[in-house]
Amino acid sequence: MMSVIRINTTDKHIIHLAAIVGGTKSILYKKADLLAYDCDGFTIHKHLPRAVVFPKNTEEVSKLVKYCSEHGLPFLARGAGTGLSGGAIPVNGEVIISMVRMKKLISVDLENRRAVVEPGFVNLKLTNSISDRGYYYAPDPSSQYCCTIGGNVAENAGGAHCLKYGVTTNHILGLEVVLPNGDIIEIGRYGVLDEPGYDLLGVLTGSEGTLGIVTKITVRILKNPEGKQTVLAYFDKVEDGSQAVSDIISAGIVPAALEMMDKTAIEAVEAAAFPVGHPKDIEAVLLIEVDGITAGIEEQINQILEVCKKSNVREVRAAKDEEERGRWWANRKTGFGAMGAISPDYLVQDGVIPRSKLPEILRKIAQISEESGLRIANIFHAGDGNLHPLVLFDARKPGEIERALEAGSACLKACAEVGGTITGEHGVGIEKREEMWFVFKEEEILAQTNIREVFNPDNLLNAGKLFPTPGRCVEIKKEMKV
Amino acid sequence: MITDESLSELKVFLKELEINKEDDYEQHPLGNSGRVTIFPKTEQEISAVLEYANTNKHSVFIMGGGTKRGYGGLLEKADILLSLAQYTGIVEHNPGDMTLTVKSGTPLQEIQNYLAPYNQKVSLDPFFPNHATIGGIISANDSGPKRLGYGSARDNVIGLTMVYPDGTLIRSGGKVVKNVAGYDMNKLFIGAMGTLGVVSQVTVKLRPIPKYESILFVSFSECNVDEIRAFAVKVLDSMIEPISLEILNPSLAGKLTNTNQYTLLFSFEDVKSSVHYQENVIRSIVPDKTTLRPLSQNEANSFWDKFYHQQPNGLTNVATTEAVLKIGVINLDVIKILQEAELIGDTCHVSIEAHGGFGTGLCHISIRGANDDVVSAIKHIRKSVIQLGGYAVVKHLPISLRKEVNVWGEKASSHFLFEGIKQKIDHNRILNKNRFVGGI
Repeated sequence: MMSVIRINTTDKHIIHLAAIVGGTKSILYKKADLLAYDCDGFTIHKHLPRAVVFPKNTEEVSKLVKYCSEHGLPFLARGAGTGLSGGAIPVNGEVIISMVRMKKLISVDLENRRAVVEPGFVNLKLTNSISDRGYYYAPDPSSQYCCTIGGNVAENAGGAHCLKYGVTTNHILGLEVVLPNGDIIEIGRYGVLDEPGYDLLGVLTGSEGTLGIVTKITVRILKNPEGKQTVLAYFDKVEDGSQAVSDIISAGIVPAALEMMDKTAIEAVEAAAFPVGHPKDIEAVLLIEVDGITAGIEEQINQILEVCKKSNVREVRAAKDEEERGRWWANRKTGFGAMGAISPDYLVQDGVIPRSKLPEILRKIAQISEESGLRIANIFHAGDGNLHPLVLFDARKPGEIERALEAGSACLKACAEVGGTITGEHGVGIEKREEMWFVFKEEEILAQTNIREVFNPDNLLNAGKLFPTPGRCVEIKKEMKV
Repeated sequence: MITDESLSELKVFLKELEINKEDDYEQHPLGNSGRVTIFPKTEQEISAVLEYANTNKHSVFIMGGGTKRGYGGLLEKADILLSLAQYTGIVEHNPGDMTLTVKSGTPLQEIQNYLAPYNQKVSLDPFFPNHATIGGIISANDSGPKRLGYGSARDNVIGLTMVYPDGTLIRSGGKVVKNVAGYDMNKLFIGAMGTLGVVSQVTVKLRPIPKYESILFVSFSECNVDEIRAFAVKVLDSMIEPISLEILNPSLAGKLTNTNQYTLLFSFEDVKSSVHYQENVIRSIVPDKTTLRPLSQNEANSFWDKFYHQQPNGLTNVATTEAVLKIGVINLDVIKILQEAELIGDTCHVSIEAHGGFGTGLCHISIRGANDDVVSAIKHIRKSVIQLGGYAVVKHLPISLRKEVNVWGEKASSHFLFEGIKQKIDHNRILNKNRFVGGI
């Protein structure tokens, strides 16, 4: 078989890898082709991979992994490359195993509410394939129209609607995994809950591709809620908006989504592709969605309107129809990209705080913005305290990248200091490795790398991600006290 | 082997520590006892005891309320029984954030009582909430019929402090409801049966107490499995959102509702209008030859109280041999399991009380009878379950019989990873020895 493969390279590994995936159509190895793979959604660091291979099935993945493992070649898996923390950047010149050709929807079992997909299957396609029968897949990251479910598993992706329905890990029932030595294991083979043994599904989900490569995924699917209603509320003061968020939750309502944008974010979304006419002079907009049994929705909506009025809302109203509801959500969901309309570059952060600290953290972020001389827009999942500060900068201006990174890190530190964490859904990747010290002690990091050693003892799979450099802890702690 | 000298060593640095020495000849029918029982009151004491045990290679069993004493374990006694009965109380409650941090020895009901005035609750529904501690519930990953609406510990626990076997405190997760910083280590400890560390503090997210709740029973006068299944499918495919959709076998339904028939239990939690609307949907689609019986909020609450305490457990003391199985299958197969268990009950001369969730695929079967018959029933039921691609775990059984049936079933293909994890964390193997799958 190998004799028919013509590859213009002196790298014998490339020839062997090409042979595994059946030829030159399934491998990229020329520099010009590799450039597209030198980063993912985190574009600040770039590194060329050794090659990119496109396996078609689990067996090929297993063989590729076995080859890399036996020859000491660093490797990593990549989905659509939409990750925002650099988890798929080949910092060690990895062989990238791209999962995009493993994109089948293998089966759907509506009665038992599960579907089996290959990792390259695009998130939104799952919902699109079952929505006519009244079902959907709940995790809805903003990039859902192009991101893959395999990538969602690696990052434990969230989304606007995870306030009520949970993040990816709450919807994964089974995985087929190629371990870093090439062995194939199945966990939760039939999607049966609580299989005896340690919860490997839970540990693998969100492990950022450092423990194994997922090749098949059994997910839970849900019945569409009978009804949905969305409320839009404008506030002249951020504090009032934050108070409304707390009061809605305290009133015993569990909204499907509870989103907030601040003034700078509003300026951006109104200047971008999906403007909806938000007033320019307000400080905060809330988007609140309630879903469930129609009979109960009206009561909840009335309660939400009441709560907002008590919090000095300037204007509050429910969407008049599905079309309006759709426009409000399009405006919100394309919020990150909208920054392009008001700034050449932006850096998105992903801190989480206890909800009650919202006003405090927003003041702190404003202060960070002032000190860094960079504008920071805030778009966040207010219901679960997940903030996305967007640091606006211009990479062409000397020193701005560094200042943006510093400001982003300062935001995360502020989140950690009020009892929160450094990432709610984007992952640590390479971006937030050192920020891990804001939330973990040395022995707690060690407890985690010990688990990695069980799965990935040679650390050839996606090395250099997720964990900080050992020994930096003391330094950072000193900084934090200042 | 633990000695008086080594114990006095422990007493030197932990003067306040309460230590009970047991009579060496006393045997508990469920095993999982200790030569001495230690009652730490603080995290520091737990840490010190484990460090001491680890250094001296003393084996340690962990106990909360004792309801799961018959759940796994092949040894009568460890050197030390670490009881968390005195390690109780709320550490931190942030009503606005809807999060709660609590010490692991606190019984769930106590937590719920504390939260009730705030109109909040922990959304977990394990068995024996009056006695079962939050630490034990998490370690065994216990859940009941409301799992469908509530999720389990893995969906509700957002942070843990674990005391590792060498005494190190390891925090996982945090105090926020969304968190992907590092590996999701919470999941590793949930359901680990205390084999990786002692759960010390638990942080959970809270849910509002529903404005209204009810139960609706639908009893089938004829045992037509296909019809019951078809009705469940129809309900699942409708717009209603029951918190539980549990099928009870005739003997359990007889015991709890006085109707000796296969009975579907629907429970609803929402605003009153929505609950009634959903009840009416059921009424409109229910098949012929069925009887409907609604329970209002108060009746539903007393039913649940009875329900969660009907299983045999570590605190019940009866003459006949009792076993409880937890079974996981593909959701709709629960009805097959219940029917199969009935048949096996007849041929093995044991009584069977069983229920299973159509939305979760989890069944619980209580078996009562003579020793040999119970063992043989367990083996037969497990065989049928495996044929359907599921598993059967023995949740409760006297220690003498646990040695005859494999409590956790056969090892999975990923067992070597379980072994690797255990070895990394508890390399002296002092914690809950042989309590878990494959002898871990």
